[in-house]
Amino acid sequence: MLKDFFLLAARSITHRKLRSWLTVIGVFIGITAVVALISIGLGLDRTIKDQVAKVFGVDTFILMAEGTFGPQQHAGGSAEEYALDLEYLRSIDGIKVAAALRERTGYVQGPPGADGTSLQGFFPVMGLSPELVTEFESFTGTLEALPGGRLFEPGDEAVTVLGTEIAERLGVTVGDTILVAGDGSAELDLTVIGIMAPDEEESDDSGGGFAMGMRTGADKDTIYVPYETMDLLWGPAEDVLVTLVRSDPGVDVDELAGRAEAALKARGSDVSAVTYNDISEAIGTMTSTVSAFLAGIAGISLLVGGVGVMNTMFTSVLERTKEIGVMKAVGAKNGHVLTIFLIESGLMGLVGGIVGTLLGLGLSAVASSFIGRFFDIKLAVVASPTLIIVTLLGSFAIGAIAGLWPAWRAAKLPVVDALRYE
Amino acid sequence: MSLLDLKEITKDYRLGKTIVHALRGLDLTIDEGGIVAIMGPSGSGKSTLMHILGALDTPTGGSAILEGQDLQGLKERQLVTLRGKKIGFVFQTFNLIQTLTAQQNVELPMIFQGTRKGSRARRARDLLTKVGLADRVRHKPNELSGGERQRVAMARALANDPEIILADEPTGNLDTESGGPILDLLKRLSKEDGKTVILVTHDPDAAAIADRIVRLRDGCVVEEVRNA
Repeated sequence: MLKDFFLLAARSITHRKLRSWLTVIGVFIGITAVVALISIGLGLDRTIKDQVAKVFGVDTFILMAEGTFGPQQHAGGSAEEYALDLEYLRSIDGIKVAAALRERTGYVQGPPGADGTSLQGFFPVMGLSPELVTEFESFTGTLEALPGGRLFEPGDEAVTVLGTEIAERLGVTVGDTILVAGDGSAELDLTVIGIMAPDEEESDDSGGGFAMGMRTGADKDTIYVPYETMDLLWGPAEDVLVTLVRSDPGVDVDELAGRAEAALKARGSDVSAVTYNDISEAIGTMTSTVSAFLAGIAGISLLVGGVGVMNTMFTSVLERTKEIGVMKAVGAKNGHVLTIFLIESGLMGLVGGIVGTLLGLGLSAVASSFIGRFFDIKLAVVASPTLIIVTLLGSFAIGAIAGLWPAWRAAKLPVVDALRYE
Repeated sequence: MSLLDLKEITKDYRLGKTIVHALRGLDLTIDEGGIVAIMGPSGSGKSTLMHILGALDTPTGGSAILEGQDLQGLKERQLVTLRGKKIGFVFQTFNLIQTLTAQQNVELPMIFQGTRKGSRARRARDLLTKVGLADRVRHKPNELSGGERQRVAMARALANDPEIILADEPTGNLDTESGGPILDLLKRLSKEDGKTVILVTHDPDAAAIADRIVRLRDGCVVEEVRNA
């Protein structure tokens, strides 16, 4: 019987082609906007997550100062540095490599120049684990020394690599020695083993641009020293900016991150471990909030479409009053009439939904390629089956709900009055 | 037992602020089989009576008994079931659904009774053949002549094999030439199939086929004539 009702409803829709199409247009504009916006949001989400995944891999997490990542950021800015016992961290079961980065401002004195004077002053001194360069290239980007020099190797101690600008200002080249003073009377003569090659481009597509706020890029005015050398100058690390940790193969990185965080906290390090999942969750929250907001605005046009359906259905009920009377005279129950009209309005919603979904997906593909070209990124085009199914069911529901009132009016028409209607 | 038994039927309408007494204590008994013509001037209560005979409406007072069942106090959905199964309507203005073909129009009453598609289609074609429209099953109402439309409507009235055919001015919108076959058909239904035909009409030609003529005036039966 339901099948026959679908047929009856479809007949009535096709009988009034122009009006039905206009109604459908009213629906699909809204659906198109919603589907397109959500699809673009999903594509954006996918693209960002893919980028992050490329940087992280499946086995890496970051230790950051507590409160610098995630929604629970402290107001008024918190300490960005934290204490860390890197050797202890490395001893935790399941950790394959750990590399850290710490920074101080130190008194630096260059070699005497031709006139016997030497440049001196306070400059940023950054200590980095050699593994940072060798093992975590996806985070740091490609760091290279200019020809004739080299970067750190394990076992290096009284050596330094300079940024291009600071090297020039100090007037040193590879093989020269500079003096760096730390806390108290600690001071070291460091041999310059390399000059850091400047970044070729600020935003490098190879992943160097994504560094989680780490200042690991080739800063032109920074003095780089091996991580352990910092201990000699400033003592145990209390000024770590970031630590990168890679797990042993097969270890659950989220579990390990939690364990490492707890162990370090117990030893007085205010760190929080951030895994790919944490970041992807944060990105997901952000992108879905944005797309929900946009889709909500687009949803207003859906409402307008629904009112259009309602209007059409009221007209339809009015001009078919006699037909309703006839149907009731030949045995249609109120429920039958209600069902037929609900199906009719639901079908208009559904057709709007189908057209709108197709247009929306097309629009999102076009928009993605446009946005991609504009920002010079490759934006993923996502056609989510869930989105499509929900949209189609939803559009039928919008039509049916909009038709509820008119259909109810039709069903309640007294048969004698309806038959008499001209 | 008579098929339809109306006693002391009154029907009041509210028309704006005045109350119209359409039927004022009408008594009428209709037996099974045969053709009854109900005649009377406009405003005599013909239509109101037809609505009550057709279980489209319930009387304000009195008792209307169809096959021993009192229509008074039946709910709308019970009335629908009753008329769906027992009563076939033929209207002056045909009242076919314009978007459906002849066959689909005939199938419509069966759809609401939940008849299966196969037997429904077969019966619809049989009925259209019976009314002489075997070659018109796929035509839509606007592709048919007035007489043909009314014959489709008659096939529709017969869809659920009702006991009563209620025809309201069936020839009122037709000329004599196309009205003739309609009346012949009604006669055959009565004589060959044993249907009870109730004919509401102005038309003396139509009334001529009746076995019995009931005249109404001012909501009451004023005369009953048996046709020889």
